[in-house]
Amino acid sequence: MIYAGIDIGSSTAKAALIKKNRLLGTHVIPSGYNPLTAGITVFDALLEKVAVSKTDIAAIVSTGYGRASASVKFADKAMTEIICHGTGAHFMNPNIRGIIDVGGQDSKAILLDKNGQVENFAMNDKCAAGTGRFIEVMANALEVSLDQMGDFSLKADKPSKISSICTVFAESEVISMIAGLQKRENIIAGIHESAAARVAILAFKINIKEPVMMTGGVAKNKGMVAALEKRLGFELIVEDFAQVNGAIGAAVLASRL
Amino acid sequence: MKEIKIFHNALKDVSALASKIKENQKKIIGYLCSYAPEELIYAAGFHPMRLFSSKSDIILAENHLQTYCCSLVRGILEDSLSGRLDFLDGTVFPHTCDSIQRLSDIWRMQGRYEFFADVILPAKLNTQSARTYMVDVLTRFKKDLEAAINREITDADLQKSIKKFNLIRSNLSKIYALQSKKPGIIKGADLYAIVKGSMIMDKDEVANLLPVIVNNLEKTDAPETKGKRIVLTGSICDSPDIYSVIETAGGIIVGDDLCTGQRWFEGLTLEDDAPLVAIAERYMGRMICPAKHSSPTARGENIVSLARKNKAAGVVFLLLKFCDPHAFDYPYLKEFLEKEGIKTLLIEIDDQQQNLGQLSTRFETFIHYI
Repeated sequence: MIYAGIDIGSSTAKAALIKKNRLLGTHVIPSGYNPLTAGITVFDALLEKVAVSKTDIAAIVSTGYGRASASVKFADKAMTEIICHGTGAHFMNPNIRGIIDVGGQDSKAILLDKNGQVENFAMNDKCAAGTGRFIEVMANALEVSLDQMGDFSLKADKPSKISSICTVFAESEVISMIAGLQKRENIIAGIHESAAARVAILAFKINIKEPVMMTGGVAKNKGMVAALEKRLGFELIVEDFAQVNGAIGAAVLASRL
Repeated sequence: MKEIKIFHNALKDVSALASKIKENQKKIIGYLCSYAPEELIYAAGFHPMRLFSSKSDIILAENHLQTYCCSLVRGILEDSLSGRLDFLDGTVFPHTCDSIQRLSDIWRMQGRYEFFADVILPAKLNTQSARTYMVDVLTRFKKDLEAAINREITDADLQKSIKKFNLIRSNLSKIYALQSKKPGIIKGADLYAIVKGSMIMDKDEVANLLPVIVNNLEKTDAPETKGKRIVLTGSICDSPDIYSVIETAGGIIVGDDLCTGQRWFEGLTLEDDAPLVAIAERYMGRMICPAKHSSPTARGENIVSLARKNKAAGVVFLLLKFCDPHAFDYPYLKEFLEKEGIKTLLIEIDDQQQNLGQLSTRFETFIHYI
């Protein structure tokens, strides 16, 4: 039996397949305008990638912002990304008790019990501070690609101080820094520190317990991971599957339907 | 149920509702909080109407109230300044939170409506001196009303009014008790419409409709839904969408400690006492809002007992953004509940903006693990 999880987020759509408690494969594409199309496209692309036929899929769970429309059209059930990230992290590493998930428009801190069940969570409140979108806006202002942000910030010698929490104000602050000829590396490190401060508040709110795994697309940003670790005072576990962890959790939940 | 539909229809257009009330030569007195002595307003021959924000964009109010004031206060000022409340003949401001008091100052200086009164209630509601003071304040308010109508408000007028409000309140309590006993018997959005409607519609009409609803609900069997029992607490909830999101996520609202819910209608006024003393007694005995003081742990004990009584699987805090009295109480209330093993969720709401996507993620997750 093969089970599928599809995580349609605000920036990217992710799919994962599991078979006999083993990960078969994953795939990521940009979400684009239509969440439903993104869900179908990423699913089909993954099936092709691992050479599995749609008829072999026993059950599908959808998650992320597009979960509801996907469950109406093709998924068997929709679950929130918080539950899916918890399930995914526990499936990949049963020791995990805390998760910090930073995605495109949300950041969340999640507390798990020893069975991988969500015990508590905290989520950013509407505004984009401390989310992937915040870093993306700043990357644009600095003319740096998103993938380079991490490497740049690790070369900083004196991170700039960004005082505005609001993304729009912070962007104009960054523009003033560019005009003031501050080093790009330092500005980027400052951006990560500012975003990390917002995310750390969520983790402290729920008294997060170690070991903590970082998931979501922003986990790929080494500068952000370092800034978060500094703020939190402990190390984060970051795996290759960080971005697709929610989709993996959804596939695991599909196997339990 | 057609009676419930009447409540929903009334909420659709408040100015149309106001015009209908005014057809009978009734003047409308607006108020903002559940400490406004409605019995007195009604006994004076006025129609007491609770004010809510129409949720329009804030443009004119921006000149008076900064963004750190809650959306309710800013929204109501916006409605007033842009003429949407021109049907009002007056307003009453009970002394509660800072924002409502400052709104009262701005309101009085604008002088848009004929009648204006501040009802400076005591902040402490558990002392003998507060009791005496409360009666004095109500006596003064009665005089203000008498001056406006140019006649005396008799004890008979007050007793008649008290009876009317007792009828409304006891029927609302019955509807809540029925929902807790037979969860799902009434939709959250209907519950919202009935309570909000009772605050703004003609009191005689409300007093006639509610017993019919109670009667119908008594005869209705509990639906076979297996939702998780949720109790709401906080300031106001003026968004039926929130109720629907909770239900879609698998919850059933079985009780609340909201200013737009049980806190407004709970407790009856003694009918055979001196009326003003009886009205004061009700306020002293009713569960306080965080802008008032009783014992330091009164609200904590109350929310725990409310959750237990209604067998709540979880308690959801619905706090208006920037409502500091509620925000100050939140950490200790949460601690009280969690000590008893009752899970909680905090949702900050704002009249002007609602992100339903994020709300459903929170509710679905919470309801999944409680």
